Amino acid sequence: MKKILFIVVFFTIILIGCDKEITLVLDDNKPVLVIDGSITDQAGPYFVQLSLSTTINNPTRINGVNNARVIITDQAGVKDSLQLVSNGLYKTQKIKGMEGGTYNLEVEVDQKKYTASATMPLKVNFDSLRINTFPFNGEIRYSVIPVYADPVTLGNSYRFIQKINDTIDPTFHVFNDNLNNGKVNQRPLRGGDDNLKIKPRDNVFVEMQCISNTSYTYYYSLNLQSGAGPGGGTAPSNPPSNIEGGALGIFSAHSVQRKTITIR
Amino acid sequence: MRYKIYVFSFLLCLGAHFTSVAAQQSYVLSGSVRDKQTGESLIKAVVRIQELPNAGIISNEYGFYSLSLPKGNYSVMVSQVGYETLVQKIKLDSSITINFSLQTKNVLKEVVVESSRKNDNLTKAQMGTETINMAAISKVPVIFGEKDLLKTIQLLPGVKSAGEGNSGFFVRGGGADQNLILLDEAPVYNATHLLGFFSTFNSDAIKDATIIKGNSPSQYGGRLSSVLDVKMKEGNNQDYTVNGGIGLISSKVSIEGPLQKNKSSFILSGRRTYADVFLKATEKFKDNILYFYDLNAKANYQINAKNKIYVSGYFGRDELGLGQDFGIDWGNKTGTIRWNKIISNKLFLNTSFIYSDYNYNVKLKNGETNFNINSEIKDVNLKQDYTLYTNTQNTLRFGFNTILHNIRPSTFTGTVINSVAKTGRNGLENAVYLTNNYKATNQLTIDYGMRLSMYTLMGGDVYNIYQNGVVSSSIKLAPSSFGKTYANLEPRITTNFRIDDEKSIKAGYARNVQHLHLLSNSVASSPSDQWIGNSYNIKPEIADQISVGYVTKVFKSNFEFTTEAYYKHLQNQIDYKDGAEINTVSDVESVLLYGIGRAYGLELLLKKKEGRLTGWIGYTLSKTERKIEGINENNWYNARQDRTHDISVVGIYDLNARWSISGVFVYNTGDAVTYPTGKYNVQGQTLYQYAARNANRMPAYHRLDFSATYEKNKTKRMHGSWNFSLYNVYGRENAYRISFKDDPNDPTRTQIIRTALFKWVPSVTYQFKF
Repeated sequence: MKKILFIVVFFTIILIGCDKEITLVLDDNKPVLVIDGSITDQAGPYFVQLSLSTTINNPTRINGVNNARVIITDQAGVKDSLQLVSNGLYKTQKIKGMEGGTYNLEVEVDQKKYTASATMPLKVNFDSLRINTFPFNGEIRYSVIPVYADPVTLGNSYRFIQKINDTIDPTFHVFNDNLNNGKVNQRPLRGGDDNLKIKPRDNVFVEMQCISNTSYTYYYSLNLQSGAGPGGGTAPSNPPSNIEGGALGIFSAHSVQRKTITIR
Repeated sequence: MRYKIYVFSFLLCLGAHFTSVAAQQSYVLSGSVRDKQTGESLIKAVVRIQELPNAGIISNEYGFYSLSLPKGNYSVMVSQVGYETLVQKIKLDSSITINFSLQTKNVLKEVVVESSRKNDNLTKAQMGTETINMAAISKVPVIFGEKDLLKTIQLLPGVKSAGEGNSGFFVRGGGADQNLILLDEAPVYNATHLLGFFSTFNSDAIKDATIIKGNSPSQYGGRLSSVLDVKMKEGNNQDYTVNGGIGLISSKVSIEGPLQKNKSSFILSGRRTYADVFLKATEKFKDNILYFYDLNAKANYQINAKNKIYVSGYFGRDELGLGQDFGIDWGNKTGTIRWNKIISNKLFLNTSFIYSDYNYNVKLKNGETNFNINSEIKDVNLKQDYTLYTNTQNTLRFGFNTILHNIRPSTFTGTVINSVAKTGRNGLENAVYLTNNYKATNQLTIDYGMRLSMYTLMGGDVYNIYQNGVVSSSIKLAPSSFGKTYANLEPRITTNFRIDDEKSIKAGYARNVQHLHLLSNSVASSPSDQWIGNSYNIKPEIADQISVGYVTKVFKSNFEFTTEAYYKHLQNQIDYKDGAEINTVSDVESVLLYGIGRAYGLELLLKKKEGRLTGWIGYTLSKTERKIEGINENNWYNARQDRTHDISVVGIYDLNARWSISGVFVYNTGDAVTYPTGKYNVQGQTLYQYAARNANRMPAYHRLDFSATYEKNKTKRMHGSWNFSLYNVYGRENAYRISFKDDPNDPTRTQIIRTALFKWVPSVTYQFKF
């Protein structure tokens, strides 16, 4: 027995990879405009955040762009010029988000124009949250399942924002109905991070957004941006989005529903 | 029109050769070459006539040879590396059959990579070809002490490893799916075990393996970059022997012996890993499942002097899982039945019937729900291959190959989803070929040939036609009807000009066409790889390669120096859109993108094949790029496997009759990867900004391995050896992955993390034979 244990320990030493922080000389970065805007079915105002990207070695923060002209129009002909709040955050004045509505965003910065168009999908009812348990390496793990009935038409996409006791889960949880079209969802939100384990008595908050397929692909691609090298995923790239003109980010029109559950 | 010109000029030069030599009256010397102790047929043994320096032939895959000679008295020399050369005097006044049996040389003389005779590389027209002798690779250090064919070929110039400890390989800039891997003629679709750490080839069951880097003769076809032709042992037809190895990770055993002495034999070989046995002993990992096993079996039966039958099979399976909740298993099955027929002393025929299957299953269980993914590719394959020993100057090889493919892409079933029944697609791949080996003069040898390959879509599925990613029309092919057929001509030629006994120059051109394509989310081989055939959107991949080479003996003929330069142009290469979900999308063709590629390079190889010190130094300087519509703004970019410099040094030194030591050193430029150039913050999260694809480099990779082999005194009954090896002697933490993430102590700072897979990996293996 002792011998076997020794061998196991031995294998663990040689097989488990070791992580080390290193420095790399990276290519020069060209700062580009990042647009993050959304229109929801909730009461306004809605916000558009404009910022500039920065180099890897600089601190990560929102480098707001304050000299932009930001306009959102809808199909009814309402034209809303957004007002700067602070640090590149602009808010709407009068436009109202509705299911099925189409919204056009126009951003002008330093004579450069960026546009995007988004249509808010019809809302799918977020029925409830339920708890899912599964054994993992000798312990019980928890996750939550958002319960909703996917409509019979193909092409619905969803995004879920999960908070565990007010800590936001950094994973972009996006589902589509490629495989379970027209079915009640039974897929759990899996937290990719071991640091964010769900434990008994935790409060789990979930916001469900019915999003467009374009937004789905955007978030799905962000999830693929993990690591480089033989052990990494596919070659990462800037995610495809609906913004024209060379800016990063997304302009999304989606519905919002929220639920909370306590793990027991 | 262009094809007509090809065919016409081809027939013209073929005709010219035959008419020029038709007038000679001659007799035929034919037969087989075998190993005296085991009765194994010897492939590529050289049969020469001392009195006629220009007359000579190399035995074929079944040890058969045939030579046309004028009447006379001759000394026949039969040689093969590792064997004592046999000289036999004959009187040729009628056609005769002689079977030669060669005696093995002292073990000390074994070499790892060899040509079939000392000067072989100087006279063969064949380019970019290396043969691996399995008996001798046991002394090359490898990870986990498991001698491995695929890891040894990665040490050759032009062949690159898919990653640390990985059996996947890239040849001259081609993808992992562009290698045709054959086990006794059966294609192996996934040649790896345990996510790439082991190859499917159990070295105890393998006789030899040949890799051809793009300039393959026309009997081979179907992949762009290379052919790896692996031959299983036939089994000892003289005596029963048991062979085995006990290692830290796996053990194996094989039994071989005669079914009828001198006439027929069998071999049975099995292997299993037992990492899971150790995992079960721990509390934390006791539910983990992690193992593979494989089984090789082969038998041959000699019906009479002219007919022989071979039956061989392979079965391998991997199991990986976490308790009841997650499991993945995958594996290959292959079976080959071959019938050798000596139609006449000048015409040899082999008919093969081949079955091959690769599949994988993933199961996920989550409380009350379950979910399965599986995929399968099945081939039924009929082949006829004729060799006509026309005359002293010409050997003609021709035949056909028909493969019925059944390809079922990833199919999902389970309680939580709509189980979509995917029947899979059928495709019919046909090929006819002709190739002639022409010894024009004592100095000039030309191999030229042509292959016509065809792929026909078969009924039973709906094919969508896409224009700019949008369906423009749909074709429903009724079952048992035929759809589009692709036909491609593949001309191939290699020439060798021998300047003198020490030097020769070579040049070649080859076109290869590939009708099956691999869609993979990972770089190396992964069990969930899925194959797809041509369709209305997916066209056959085409590669044109030109190469030139120079071979010379150096340092008093103790060393052989080979250099080859190549340029390769690739058409109809496949990639997919950013953010594509290739496994779940209802029609994977909707997310595919197409483009071209190019690869060029220079390969240098200095080999020492005899003496107490053997080994080689290989160096490759190369570039590999792709240009795909819709990727990297339609500009050229580095393929992931593009590595500028690649060096490998292999040395084996026999200290004395019992001890031998060996070492391997490898160095290569890091893989081409895409690092972020910048970052931005959205909704409290750090996101990264990217510029050109694969414009960055992983840190350079280098490693030294060392091994020592101790052979116990040979007794009549038992022979044993110990192998001790250390992988990564100086413990370099080679980067397996580079990732970018927020510093946990200061989330506004970005950390660049290097993940290394192995530091030192020591291993011990005991090998026995009785």
